[in-house]
Amino acid sequence: MLDTLLPILIFCALAVMVLGAWRRLSLWRQGRPSPVPLIRGLAAMPRRYLVDLHHVVERDRYMSKTHVATAGGFVLAALLMIIVHGFGLHNRILGFALLGATVLMFVGALFVAKRRRNPPARLSTGAWNRLPKSLLMFSASFFVVTLPVAGVIPADMGGWVVALILLIGVAWGVSEMFLGMTWGGPMKHAFAGALHLAWHRRAERFGGGRSTGLKALDLDQPNAVMGVEKPTDFTWNQLLGFDACVQCGKCEAVCPAFAAGQPLNPKKLIQDMVIGLAGGDDASFAGSPYPGVPLGEHGGGPHQPIVSQEGKGLVGADTLWSCTTCRACVEECPMMIEHVDAIVDMRRHLTLEQGSTPNKGADVLDNLIATDNPGGFDPGGRLNWAADLNLPLMSEKKQADVLFWVGDGAFDMRNQRTLRAFVSVLKAAGVDFAVLGLEERDSGDVARRLGDEATFQGLAKRNIASLSKYHFNTIVTCDPHSLHVLKNEYGELGGNYDVRHHSTYLGELIANQRLNLGQHKGGSVTYHDPCYLGRYNGEYDAPRNVLKAIGIEVKEMERSGFRSRCCGGGGGAPITDIPGKQRIPDMRMDDIKETGAELVAVGCPQCTAMFEGVVEPRPYVKDIAELVADVLIEAPVPQRSATRSDAMEVH
Amino acid sequence: MMPHELLKVVALVSVGAHPVTGRPRRAEQDARAVELGLCLAGKHLHLLHAGDAESEALRGYLGMGLAEMTVLQQPLHADILPALGSYLGATDAQLVLTGSQAEIGEGSGMLPYLLAEQLDWPLVVGLAEVESVKGGVAQVLQALPRGQRRRLQVRLPFVASVDSAAPKARQSAFGPAQRGQLQSQKVAVVEDMLLSEASMQTARPRPKRLKVIKAKTGAERMRAATAKASAGGKVLTDITPEQGAEAIFALLKEEKVLR
Amino acid sequence: MKESFRRDPRNEWIARNRLHPLYSALQTQEASWIGPSGLVRKNPHVSGFIGPNGLKRIDRSGVQQGGGSQRSGTKAAVQLPLRIIEQPSFYIVVVPDMVNGRLSSHDKDLLGLANTLAGDEGAVVAVVFQAHKEGGFDTAGVDRLLHLQGEAFADYSPEQRVTALCALDTQLNPAHWLVPDSRTGGGELGRRLAAKLGERPATRVWQVADGQCIGRAGAGQQDMARTAPRLILAAAECADPVSDTRHEVRAIELNETLFHRVGRLDNLGAVAVDPALTPMAEAEFILSGGNGVKDWELFHQAAETLGATEGASRVAVDDGFMPRARQVGATGTWVTAQVYLAVGISGAVQHLQGIATCDKVVAINQDPACDMVKRADLAVIGDSAAILQALIERVREHRQGGMHDAA
Repeated sequence: MLDTLLPILIFCALAVMVLGAWRRLSLWRQGRPSPVPLIRGLAAMPRRYLVDLHHVVERDRYMSKTHVATAGGFVLAALLMIIVHGFGLHNRILGFALLGATVLMFVGALFVAKRRRNPPARLSTGAWNRLPKSLLMFSASFFVVTLPVAGVIPADMGGWVVALILLIGVAWGVSEMFLGMTWGGPMKHAFAGALHLAWHRRAERFGGGRSTGLKALDLDQPNAVMGVEKPTDFTWNQLLGFDACVQCGKCEAVCPAFAAGQPLNPKKLIQDMVIGLAGGDDASFAGSPYPGVPLGEHGGGPHQPIVSQEGKGLVGADTLWSCTTCRACVEECPMMIEHVDAIVDMRRHLTLEQGSTPNKGADVLDNLIATDNPGGFDPGGRLNWAADLNLPLMSEKKQADVLFWVGDGAFDMRNQRTLRAFVSVLKAAGVDFAVLGLEERDSGDVARRLGDEATFQGLAKRNIASLSKYHFNTIVTCDPHSLHVLKNEYGELGGNYDVRHHSTYLGELIANQRLNLGQHKGGSVTYHDPCYLGRYNGEYDAPRNVLKAIGIEVKEMERSGFRSRCCGGGGGAPITDIPGKQRIPDMRMDDIKETGAELVAVGCPQCTAMFEGVVEPRPYVKDIAELVADVLIEAPVPQRSATRSDAMEVH
Repeated sequence: MMPHELLKVVALVSVGAHPVTGRPRRAEQDARAVELGLCLAGKHLHLLHAGDAESEALRGYLGMGLAEMTVLQQPLHADILPALGSYLGATDAQLVLTGSQAEIGEGSGMLPYLLAEQLDWPLVVGLAEVESVKGGVAQVLQALPRGQRRRLQVRLPFVASVDSAAPKARQSAFGPAQRGQLQSQKVAVVEDMLLSEASMQTARPRPKRLKVIKAKTGAERMRAATAKASAGGKVLTDITPEQGAEAIFALLKEEKVLR
Repeated sequence: MKESFRRDPRNEWIARNRLHPLYSALQTQEASWIGPSGLVRKNPHVSGFIGPNGLKRIDRSGVQQGGGSQRSGTKAAVQLPLRIIEQPSFYIVVVPDMVNGRLSSHDKDLLGLANTLAGDEGAVVAVVFQAHKEGGFDTAGVDRLLHLQGEAFADYSPEQRVTALCALDTQLNPAHWLVPDSRTGGGELGRRLAAKLGERPATRVWQVADGQCIGRAGAGQQDMARTAPRLILAAAECADPVSDTRHEVRAIELNETLFHRVGRLDNLGAVAVDPALTPMAEAEFILSGGNGVKDWELFHQAAETLGATEGASRVAVDDGFMPRARQVGATGTWVTAQVYLAVGISGAVQHLQGIATCDKVVAINQDPACDMVKRADLAVIGDSAAILQALIERVREHRQGGMHDAA
């Protein structure tokens, strides 16, 4: 009886699954077009899955092994099952292989079940708690069903009652595993995830690459709605990406805004997008809600606005403005979902179409338009901090080895100390450098993160025009935000430069022995990785090497390197200023205090400002440039003139 | 404030200049006038500008959520008043909102007054809020210095100027600003004679007037001249809270801020 | 330093010049006279003068005259010379703001300007509406005073006032109208008058000289120089106020009886504004709390008692004690209060930037070394709660006292 029913069941399930896949595809295809190589992507998918994705999952050994066993066992079992039971190829070897696969899957599923017994808060419950049972049911049923094929027990053993029970088990397993894959159960992640990897919007991320720059918006189509208003305004592969979410909550665990009690939870945000994709409300969401926002009040559909001006909408605007764009969620996501892109896309709509950038946002954007800096300072005062430094100007020199990008910190009295320190180091090392001076403008970072793509592109194009007038080898900046924008985001607008953070450049100067440095005196030091230097640009070592060179042994925080916690200063978050239960810089300062360090070394003007805004007593905050300048021994290094002429010959 | 859908509101707007860089932008007070107009008439607010329709800064007003603006085409040195007056006289506008003074050009702040005179409408200066409109009479709040308000009753139609006490203008969004239409109209041009006679120059900073020194002796003059520097920053330490409170109270009384 | 011994050549000159109006004021006491008994009495203190080294010198050569008396002599109120214009060849009319019924310093500057424009021939007319408390029209430079009273001009009545001014214009045909370009009334009244008279005024004028005037234009980035028109709206400090003459303040009347149109603009009176709701940027008196405030209940109570608008430092806002809209500073609101009372605020740079234009800053703080105390015009060091409590009581006492006085 099973021999006749099983193939029917399997093929019916497969047919329904294909139907579901079709429906899923058509849901995604509601999105805007996005050119990705379809076939090449599919071909690259296994490698992306087995190598790149595995690297991320591997950070959690338990889950990595569990997943290998469960998923590996399932894929094998499913293929063999179709051959053996579907096509009725009752080969003993295949039978044993199938048994092996189901055993492997069963063992994996046991670990999944164990994990689910006392799950951390970040994990979603609901359907996800059902998954281990379904996995066990699937593997156990097929194990038993396959026993006769392997010749372990006779084919007709047990009679029709056992057969019926088995059939129910198989049906449960098959429907969860096959139907759920395309019709919206937890197993959807396997289908959507695989295709998401194949058609990812940032293919550069695979194979060890890095792609962190936001993608430019075409502003020349006046009749198109700018940014994302409705779920269907996302590109189709973004929608696909949302569907790939496994609700593991790794993003939630690292999100600084969530921890601060601001109304953002990256996992919930992605799930809300999935709700928007298919239509419905968030009542059945089985994870942590946005802090302070109860479940069941928000809902939407593919063609309804995500953020509603009247009524609740799918997501509240505060949720989108809470993000610091620190990218911790993206870094942690085992499915390589791009949360920050989605948030900025929606912010673009709020700013460019609704004109509803909250709090000081509108003022800052107006200032950027009118004065080229977010503070509204007279652009003629951009070089006042260096009035006595006699800085070489690009407009006079026309060419230099290093273009020192000063950034908007030029207007901030605290950051001017950092800038002056760095200039003293550059001068001591005899670096051939120059600044743009009054030709420099805000890099556009804040405007872009606040969703004002028009202002960003305006600033970027004028900066690129200024830069194109001069010859230089490298841009060095003390501001990781400028670094990121110049390095990763100007390219799309026609500006390609070799950009380095000052810590990287200091590291090179030290390695080339162009600096005569003493040793740091004073207490213990910890180092805070700025998001835009670390996660955005992968520079974790250079700052530490520089600190090491001046005799500092960094007392690492628990969350450092790629897991560094944001200072709260990115993404325009201090400007939009969404209230939470506590402040992000206070939390980070607690991390810093935990190390017992008396001083925290930083490499970003935003981080400096945020940390110095924490009420004293607290550790001192010093930029790496200041620490280096403090131990600078002003005697000329012997080979200085030689290197200098080398540098000149480059041109 | 309740939206008064039936009220026909026209907001007169001009091209402003940023106070620091002088770059063209939407004028601060005019934008507040538009904001007030949007609160009163919503999308039915009629924007009117006399000047150059090519001016990109005008789009700043459209970005506040309005689909179009009427531009009475006028050259730079024209007297725009006749054009505005005859245009407004021909419409059924019940309330004309303007800023208090232009940010570029003469900026005498006379426009609302002359317009009201020409149309023979009453004028409310420093409109802060329209409380109600009933039977052709509007009850409004007028802004006075230091956040004070005065309630006025004025019959429709009227002209109202707003200053920086009016509600802050909403953000101008790029998308609607780009899509909005500037409907240009050709109208008669009257040359402004004054502008050919007067000369404009960069504002000279005015030194703060020194305290008029009544002292007759050099010593007293000296003391008066140096008093500013040495005074200021009286620090009271080691005193009882009552003494401290008394000192503060004396200062508050002297400054007349206790009402 | 009180007595410094200097010769005053001008006084000496006046003392020699019998025609000078101040001549009599500077006449020294008689050095000798015939006493009641017929004896010649001499006052040795009067003769001679104090030399530059502080010693008394007596010069018997007869060269020395006048100025002999010390400056102590001039300390008595000097009766300034009275300027009488009997038949003015033209009029300069000033319409002062009369804030609180008195001439403001802006008004006095305008009267000073009017007197320069009037020269020796013209007369300065001041137009005052409603009752006033000013007693110094004579020394402020008012030759003629038109005092208009009546129901029609009560409180805020720009249209009626303009009607009266138009009537005056016909009557006197003034050479110039001078109105303060202020937010306290003059700016509006002057422009209404200009529109009614059809005069194109010069506005925000800060200098009038040789028939030319210079005023601010646009948003204040430019100046506009032009021939001085008949109607000038002048900025504060456009000229020095009158200081050395007295004027007769002769009352004049309007010849014409005014017929007022039915008001198109009715004044329903001032609206009570809750200081707590006043936008901070406009508030006159701000009580601002920071990290040092521990008892916020008391703080709110103090603000209510003092009638102050509440403000806060960034830290107080971050910690959730005050709403974000109340944050003062470069990252919050820039305030322009006349009195800024900072309680427990140490004075971060951004905060000090935000209060830069405040007139008087008062600090209550524990730490005498903090930056806010350095910035403050008055700083009281001590426990903020105790001081606020004492201040509340002091103000209440004052209020009640005031009530008794009134009764």
